[in-house]
Amino acid sequence: MSGLETNEGRKKLALFGLLTPPTIFLGVFFLVPLGIMVVYSFLEPGLYGGVVWNFYDLNYGRILGWADSRYEQFDPVYLIVFLRSVKLALTTVILSLFICYPAAFWISRMSDARKSFFLFLITLPFFVSLVVRLFAWVLILRPTGFLNQGLMGAGIISEPLELMFTNTAVVIGMAYVFIPFMFLPLYASVEKLDMSLVEASADLGATRLQTFRRVILPMTLPGIIGGSIIVFIPSLGNFIVPSVLGGSRVLMIGNLIEQQFLSARNWPFGSALGMLVMAAVLVLLMVYVRIMTKEEEYANATKVKEG
Amino acid sequence: MKIKKLLRSSILPIYGYFFFAFVYAPILLIVVFSFNSNPVNMMIWENFTFDWYRAIFGLSAATTESALYLDSTDQLYEAVKNSLTIALTTTAISTVFGTAIALAVARFRFRLKPFYRALMFMPMIMPDILLGIALLIFFVSVGIQLSVVTIIIGHCTFLISYVFIVVSARIADMDDALEEAAADLGANSWVTFRRVTFPMILPGVIGGALLAFIISMDDLVITYFIAGVDSQTLPVFIFGMLRRGIKPEINAIATIMLLFSLIIASVGLYLRSRK
Repeated sequence: MSGLETNEGRKKLALFGLLTPPTIFLGVFFLVPLGIMVVYSFLEPGLYGGVVWNFYDLNYGRILGWADSRYEQFDPVYLIVFLRSVKLALTTVILSLFICYPAAFWISRMSDARKSFFLFLITLPFFVSLVVRLFAWVLILRPTGFLNQGLMGAGIISEPLELMFTNTAVVIGMAYVFIPFMFLPLYASVEKLDMSLVEASADLGATRLQTFRRVILPMTLPGIIGGSIIVFIPSLGNFIVPSVLGGSRVLMIGNLIEQQFLSARNWPFGSALGMLVMAAVLVLLMVYVRIMTKEEEYANATKVKEG
Repeated sequence: MKIKKLLRSSILPIYGYFFFAFVYAPILLIVVFSFNSNPVNMMIWENFTFDWYRAIFGLSAATTESALYLDSTDQLYEAVKNSLTIALTTTAISTVFGTAIALAVARFRFRLKPFYRALMFMPMIMPDILLGIALLIFFVSVGIQLSVVTIIIGHCTFLISYVFIVVSARIADMDDALEEAAADLGANSWVTFRRVTFPMILPGVIGGALLAFIISMDDLVITYFIAGVDSQTLPVFIFGMLRRGIKPEINAIATIMLLFSLIIASVGLYLRSRK
């Protein structure tokens, strides 16, 4: 380090050169737009898609309970859509967790060469276009799709099942698309799991359920929580999957936001809806940080005891 | 206990194969049925055909039914061209910026470091749709016409973070003794950077660039909001097709895209295995 520090001035210049261009770029095109969006969510929508520069908290009021009495009565429909989105996102998290958890154990016990091959296979779909992967599910779930044709051909059903445009279709689609997001953090903590502790627990007379609850689950918890958050965030604000697999029947908060911007042209209200999504994500992250610091404190405490 | 263990050891692999079937079957389905000649129901196998591929390359009018899509062949080409232009430019810009911030954060001491770390973390935790609407509001209120350029700017705002993360990981793995040695041997900081630091972080830079390219090619949410009328990208184009109702040509387009993604993924893997 000492050799590099002989020339303080030069070093400062280098740092300045490295940081200035990206800082200006991100300041103008990232921070400023986000700031404007926050401001917009407190502005009054104009008549034909514009804004009136007045402070106006009724965008939030319209969602949360105090609507602009000049135009409308409070209607909880936005809150209902938001809560439905939370529900669908949570269901997606749980489904993808159940799909990925056993697979993570399976792969973690393989030999190194096979392990890296199978990990490659799991990350590969991430490189396949999202629209293409969703399109595949349209082909499968449509009334004339693969699943219905198969079931009808086998004589199990006589009329096609309504699979498209349902909550189930949206959840399956999101879980499918986000599998790599769930799998990788999960795998990272499953792989670290010390099998000798599992054996010790069994030797000491714990039942399988007890071993799972007291040993395996707590030790893989960081991966479970990490994966859940990475899947929950893009699921909550998603509008692509619900508009392809949910049609007009499964409306999520993302669809509402899209409508406000591209058809209803009420940008302040759309921004307020967006802020709601952001608030939900922030609350979740705060809970996550809380849990993680507790875990760490606990780990440190036990370490001190051992030492 | 022994039987239970046996059961467990065979159930897990069986589950594992089901898992991979679930992941890959939908993708394979597209590939297989892109060669199906049945124009009425694309999921009932009729005959092997290249018609849909010929149709999207404008070589033949396969059926009258798909006339709607033949009209959009030009649009399709335009979308592919836009996507490639955007992805290449975005990759160049975000790779340079992301690497610059990663180097600054890892190799210099300055007060604003936590700010840059937080800034790089933000796009990771923010739902895409928020960045999409924020950029739309920004461009429109500042009076910038939506075009390929606005999409490039939009992609860079979050891809810088991806490059930053990949390059930072590489720098963290690196042994800084070599840089110190170079400096001790009298190399100035530019020479040290060019001869020692840069070659060592290069695999990370390439990895970050590939990731940026792939994500830029595939981005739909942000692009959807800031694409002007005549600056559609390939994902936006296909999304539009899917919303209007599906036709066999999409299978063929999807298969070609699939092939393209696999090539890029294999290049990435090859580069990684060489390091």
